[in-house]
Amino acid sequence: MYQVSDSKALLRGHRRLLAARSTPAGGRVSRTVVLLGLTSLITDISSEMVVTVLPLYLVAIGGFSPLAFGFIDGLYNGATALMGLASGMIGDRFRRHKETAATGYGISAVCKLLLAVVGTGVSAIGAVVLLDRAGKGIRTAPRDAMISLATPRDQLGMAFGVHRAMDTTGAVLGPLLAFALLAAAPLAFHTVFLVSFFLALLGVGVLVLFVEQRGPVAGAQAPERPPALSGAFALLRLPRYRALMCAGAALSLATASDAFVFLALQKELDLGTSLFPLLFVASSGTYMLLAVPAGRLADRFGRGRVFLAGYALLLGVYLAVLSPLGGWLLLVVALGLLGAYYAATDGVLMALGSTVVPEEVRGSGLALLGTATSIARLVASVAFGALWTLWTLNGAFIAFGAALVVATALAGFLLVRAPEPAA
Amino acid sequence: MTAARRRTAFVALLALCVVGAGVAVLAGLGSGGAAKGGSTGALADAQQTRRPVVLYRTGDRSQGPGGQLALASLAQPGTPATALHLSCGRVSYAPGAGLCLTQAKGFAAGYEADVFGADLKVRHRLAVEGVPSRARVSPDGRYGAVTLFVTGHSYAAAGQFSTDTTLIDMRSGREAAQLERFAVTKGDRQLTALDMNFWGVTFARDSDRFYATLATGGKTYLVEGSVRGRTARVLHENVECPSLSPDGTRIAYKKRTGPASRPWHLTVLDLATMHETPLAETRSIDDQVEWLDDRRVLYGVGGDVDVAAADGTGRPARFFTGGGSPTVLSWAARTPAS
Repeated sequence: MYQVSDSKALLRGHRRLLAARSTPAGGRVSRTVVLLGLTSLITDISSEMVVTVLPLYLVAIGGFSPLAFGFIDGLYNGATALMGLASGMIGDRFRRHKETAATGYGISAVCKLLLAVVGTGVSAIGAVVLLDRAGKGIRTAPRDAMISLATPRDQLGMAFGVHRAMDTTGAVLGPLLAFALLAAAPLAFHTVFLVSFFLALLGVGVLVLFVEQRGPVAGAQAPERPPALSGAFALLRLPRYRALMCAGAALSLATASDAFVFLALQKELDLGTSLFPLLFVASSGTYMLLAVPAGRLADRFGRGRVFLAGYALLLGVYLAVLSPLGGWLLLVVALGLLGAYYAATDGVLMALGSTVVPEEVRGSGLALLGTATSIARLVASVAFGALWTLWTLNGAFIAFGAALVVATALAGFLLVRAPEPAA
Repeated sequence: MTAARRRTAFVALLALCVVGAGVAVLAGLGSGGAAKGGSTGALADAQQTRRPVVLYRTGDRSQGPGGQLALASLAQPGTPATALHLSCGRVSYAPGAGLCLTQAKGFAAGYEADVFGADLKVRHRLAVEGVPSRARVSPDGRYGAVTLFVTGHSYAAAGQFSTDTTLIDMRSGREAAQLERFAVTKGDRQLTALDMNFWGVTFARDSDRFYATLATGGKTYLVEGSVRGRTARVLHENVECPSLSPDGTRIAYKKRTGPASRPWHLTVLDLATMHETPLAETRSIDDQVEWLDDRRVLYGVGGDVDVAAADGTGRPARFFTGGGSPTVLSWAARTPAS
């Protein structure tokens, strides 16, 4: 369990970092954000270690084909998005973001234990993986709502930055831990599942025992009745929210998934498939390091600007892939830009969303935003795959680059026309 | 709950998780999957003394894609098998060079084809794409053939899978050729279909001539090919996973006769007369058979290996329990057929 002490050391590191940089105005993220970050860090180690070994487990032991697994995986991701919408609304309606999130974390934890006991039947594993994804879908929106509700408006960027940095740390450590376990005990998949389960349990423990939920609008200002479910969709009538959602969706439609970027790099540099996970580690590591600085930049210079700049970085990724660059230089430039793009957009979008969504529908508002962008990304992936098949890989990148320029211009126009209100 | 009680509860949870994960790790380390112990010299010893043996993989597939190799004596049946210090999913061996399909270790989440010597030391590793299915080494150890499922995971569902068959140069450990790139003829017609799949290679003694299954247009064929010429021609229809007899006159194979639930009947084809002889085995067998000698064949069935007469007479019998992928090593200069 050295990874737990690791994560604690990391947490201390973050605190020192934050304390050192904190401004006199109190630019330190709240305890809730750090604890939610810790929950995500531990949970992501747990879930990523399973995600990493699952294809291997299914193919080696269960007799799945890798392609069939990829297909199922895609379907499940769609289900996750819809589940998130429901949980965001439930969290808002009963003003129980913490309990809703804990349910999601709890379901995912139980699934790790189930994986260790259901055996290798295709349908049984499929059901457990679906349930696990449902848990992930459930926890995301209420968690983001809690981060935003626990943070003053002018520090939202940094708060989400701290959370995403910790979350990504877990996503980097998880696969490393899984492979370390499998290297020490080959084929001991059950060990991986069980260690993952205990980590997940610990993550739930941190959330349930230490995180305190601050209600929307503390004290007497609370509205007399809980918001109706339709309240979430009434959000769409808010011009600022609509503008943000259209901007986010348009940009997502022009986003080539990392998998394609990695595949392009692999093709260009003739890398073995064994190096694939390292590409993920490199871009995630950059994301991890830049998430907090990007959040601070967003707070200082405008979240919309940093968000759009992030997509300029993504355009840089496409250009790097298309450029005559090669070798290590291409790898460093492309993966660095990819990580920076994530740092400037992922948490910043939620920070942006938090400024325009009223507190009483924060969960549903963020969930809807997340769902719209992830569905757009799914569509983009299919389109990219089709372009690649019908045309060439470079052709697909050129087309997506052009689309990204148009989408960025459109998003810039939308965000300028409906600027975020002054704090 | 007060802050102090929460802290106590968390410490208790932390302790539970540390202990639980610790136990899981210890149990995992104890179970292991790699070859533990086992002889490193038994194969070289058998080769040197020309003691006839059968090399096979122990355990069954539920233990994962690999199992420890073992060597059983053919001269003195009933003597206990010797465990070897190597684990493979599929194994094949010819004097001097063996092919071991196994799960890659470390960060790579794939499979590899390992070329090993009589000392069981891995000389070359070749990363492969797909799930290993068949492995064969030519009688002189010059070439190895590996079939992998690229999509699908079973031969049972016709048309639902695609395979990739690669010939490996056993000296360099590099890919020598891909059967999918060979020029294939049927009668006087060149086959150009895109949906050509090959699997189940078996080599003749000269290591140039080989036989394999070709699937195209929903049918399977036996092809005879030349490694040097990069050519193959169709000989017979409805043949899967061929295996050439030691004397080079017959092919034992899976003939598709039944419904998808039990599709195959083991059959022997006489290459001179093209006469088919169904074997006495009535169960549907999904394995590339191995000839024990010119009269009997071995095949994996339900995690064990059975033996049946090649002339269709008698009844199948258990050859050994718990294992698969048998390779018969008689060391004798087999009757030249080519």
